[in-house]
Amino acid sequence: MITYELCLLLRVMPKKELAATLKRTATAIFDKSGFIRKIENLGTRDMPYKTSSHGVVYNKASYFLIEMNVPPSTVEELKEEYSRDVDIIRRRVYKKIPPSEAECTLHEEMLPAPYRKDVQELIASSKKLQKPRFSYNSGLDYYPFQK
Amino acid sequence: MSLILRKCFQNVQISSLLKNTRVLMPVRNVGSEVSDADVPKFDMENPFLKEKQQCILCKHKIDPDYKNVKLLSQFQSPYTGRIYGRHITGLCKAKHEKLESEIVKSQSAGLMTVYLKEPCFIKDPKLFDAERPIRPHRF
Ligand SMILES: [Zn+2]
Repeated sequence: MITYELCLLLRVMPKKELAATLKRTATAIFDKSGFIRKIENLGTRDMPYKTSSHGVVYNKASYFLIEMNVPPSTVEELKEEYSRDVDIIRRRVYKKIPPSEAECTLHEEMLPAPYRKDVQELIASSKKLQKPRFSYNSGLDYYPFQK
Repeated sequence: MSLILRKCFQNVQISSLLKNTRVLMPVRNVGSEVSDADVPKFDMENPFLKEKQQCILCKHKIDPDYKNVKLLSQFQSPYTGRIYGRHITGLCKAKHEKLESEIVKSQSAGLMTVYLKEPCFIKDPKLFDAERPIRPHRF
């Protein structure tokens, strides 16, 4: 089960209309047999860049974040449904990524080039590409190939 | 007279040989005993080993997230809004790739500026100096 994050930019509007819009987006998720884990209000503020949607240019938006679980096949349908909603300026669906537990590799990356593993692999792979050459100290006193 | 002398010399030679063998034997034994006692025991760790370097995000255990615009904008140039390279930010490869992808996500979602750093973040503390990169600039 994949948890998705839906980032919504809603038109600035009175509280009643806002609630109605949120309810509409939520029911769309429930209709697709999904469920909501969390709804977060990220506030109303100036957008970093102006956006035109449905023929209107917006400079301000209310930001909302919905954490949800829906079948992956219905994500595209959901996005298409929201794209038709006049009150929604912008919507993005991202996968929720758990924090990685990997160790920091900066120490190995800061080593001089010949000690770095990726450089060593690069040198080894380039050596593989080199053609075998005739060695003159093999006991054969003439060059057996065409010069 | 000559016979006596010869005998004398023979004795001397034999005795000197015997002495030599006697002398040589114990010397070897003494040497091995001494080396065992005097060899210092190096059980400690290498004291000259440098401390393991960690990048600033790994050190504080921060994972870049597209909603954390204040953090992401610290890696953005105030002049062009572009993301600074790894040779400037000093992050490890994994974290820098994550950071770049999160910034792209954030800009796409309409949370973060693209062509400039947002004016409210301009006075944030600097994590690195763009004029003094870790490795030389490409240009
Ligand atoms: Zn790191």
